[in-house]
Amino acid sequence: MAHAPPELHAIQSSSPITTLRLSQQASVILERQLLSEKNPISALIAKQEDPEKYGIIEQLFFSCLQTGDDRSALLCLEQLTRRFGSSNEKVMGLRGLYEEAIAENQSDLEHSLRKYDFSLAENPLNLPILKRRIALLRSLSRPVDAITGLVELLKAVPTDAEAWCELADLYQSQGLSSQAIFSLEEALLIAPNAWNIHAHLGEVLYTCARAAETEVSSRYLRRSIQYFCRSVELCDDYLRGFYGLILATSLQLRREYTADFTQTPSSTSTEDFLPREKVEKLNHLAKKKLEDIVKQRSVDRQVWEHAQGELIAAKELLNRESY
Amino acid sequence: MALQGTEQTILRDPALFYWILFPITIVMILTGILRHYATVLMNTPPKPASTLAESRERLSLLRGVNLRNNASAVLSKDAFEMRKNYLVSAYQSGEFLKDPASRGQPPANPMTDPAGMEAMMGMMKGNMMMMIPQTLIMSWINAFFSGFVILKLPFPLTIRFKSMLQSGVMTRDLDVRWVSSLSWYFLNLFGLQSVFGFILGSDNAANHMSQQMATMNPAMGANPFQPGQDPDKLYRSEAENLEVMEHFCILDGIEDRILHNIASKEGLV
Repeated sequence: MAHAPPELHAIQSSSPITTLRLSQQASVILERQLLSEKNPISALIAKQEDPEKYGIIEQLFFSCLQTGDDRSALLCLEQLTRRFGSSNEKVMGLRGLYEEAIAENQSDLEHSLRKYDFSLAENPLNLPILKRRIALLRSLSRPVDAITGLVELLKAVPTDAEAWCELADLYQSQGLSSQAIFSLEEALLIAPNAWNIHAHLGEVLYTCARAAETEVSSRYLRRSIQYFCRSVELCDDYLRGFYGLILATSLQLRREYTADFTQTPSSTSTEDFLPREKVEKLNHLAKKKLEDIVKQRSVDRQVWEHAQGELIAAKELLNRESY
Repeated sequence: MALQGTEQTILRDPALFYWILFPITIVMILTGILRHYATVLMNTPPKPASTLAESRERLSLLRGVNLRNNASAVLSKDAFEMRKNYLVSAYQSGEFLKDPASRGQPPANPMTDPAGMEAMMGMMKGNMMMMIPQTLIMSWINAFFSGFVILKLPFPLTIRFKSMLQSGVMTRDLDVRWVSSLSWYFLNLFGLQSVFGFILGSDNAANHMSQQMATMNPAMGANPFQPGQDPDKLYRSEAENLEVMEHFCILDGIEDRILHNIASKEGLV
């Protein structure tokens, strides 16, 4: 295998276009898998089964569900079940996902929920099912139950960064920002170099800071700038990080500008005071970088297709900020 | 000792070569492969935690370790102090323990504790896998081929190698270059690792070195506690580690760093 199969690219990106493309290839990929299984000679030649193969099938399963191709999704699920057995935790989680996806009304979903509870009674630490249950509670618009479940889960498994991020998202959706910040910090403690979580934390802090104009919010804003800075330090062409940096520094500039009239500068705490020219410099620099990134990525057609949304948003921000 | 400059010659039946050298080598390789598969078959994966409380007890320690390692990259002073205080008090009060009631009692005897017993059995099995074939093959070689000189190395060696290359042959004057059958077995035993790596892949179980390494540092996802170890003690020592930690944060002054770094990069381009 000299070249990486095209379906592997979809694993890295999550854009709808690649998802659609992948699911359109579903029948081809599945046929190939089936053929290689049926052919005894190739089964003999292949010394060990390719561990990537099942990763691809799982990915295909997700893509098919997203694009509504439930029949291919079922085929994928059957292949996985045949290989790993129906009592495998991950397969159980995937089956639950499939049942949720084909559920037509509320009562079907309730039924899935009861099934999850049932299998959790057997094995209380079945992580995929635990997570599916929380996701289902969320989609049944019972966020409080979902939060309770997630907190229970995190008590047992405090080293799961994914769960902490989900908890942060849930808290944020309920307007509990400080809890969301706490959860994101926990996630960062587990994955300290994740620039996307750094940027996300920056975003949450920025939202908090924007909501009100008080002493606390200015501290939030200050921290938000720090986290955006950290995220672009870790990944120096991270579009989202620069975008956030521009927003946060602009807000800071505006705040300070108006603050000059209303209150004396001595009231701001001195220890985390950021001089105005530095903020200006940062703002300027972030804009420049963002412009470069947008220019660079718009040229490459493939990249443009994948990241259309964020590039357009970035352009719009630059236009808005330029005058 | 042989005379310097003269070549020692021993008349050997060439059949010795084919009937001893090759069989030993082949048998060694085959037992290595067999051992690999037997270990794979008999290997029981470490048992995952079965209840929420058990999992909590295992993983909460990692939380403290994570805080210790990564706090400087993430947390502001307030957030750090809050977490530190929480974890230290929780560790000291034994909040994360599976059953807080049994705290302070001496750890259960690993012989009676079923979980500990299982881990011991696993270790035993691994050791047996190594011991039994080795004993068998060595006694086989001793019984059939002891005392044979089977090959001559094409290069000269110093006298020190004599004990290594000629075990089982009790002659003082034989040139060091001659290798006895028992020595050939030992050479194979230690020298076939790369052959096994080639046949079975790099993380094979025939490689006893890797096995020893594995018992020394178990994987992070598995139970961090050895059988018979008291989690409470580990928690207390972790609490002490956390207590002495000073806060510093790489987010302080990050703006200057960013400005400096990117500006210098832009300047170069």
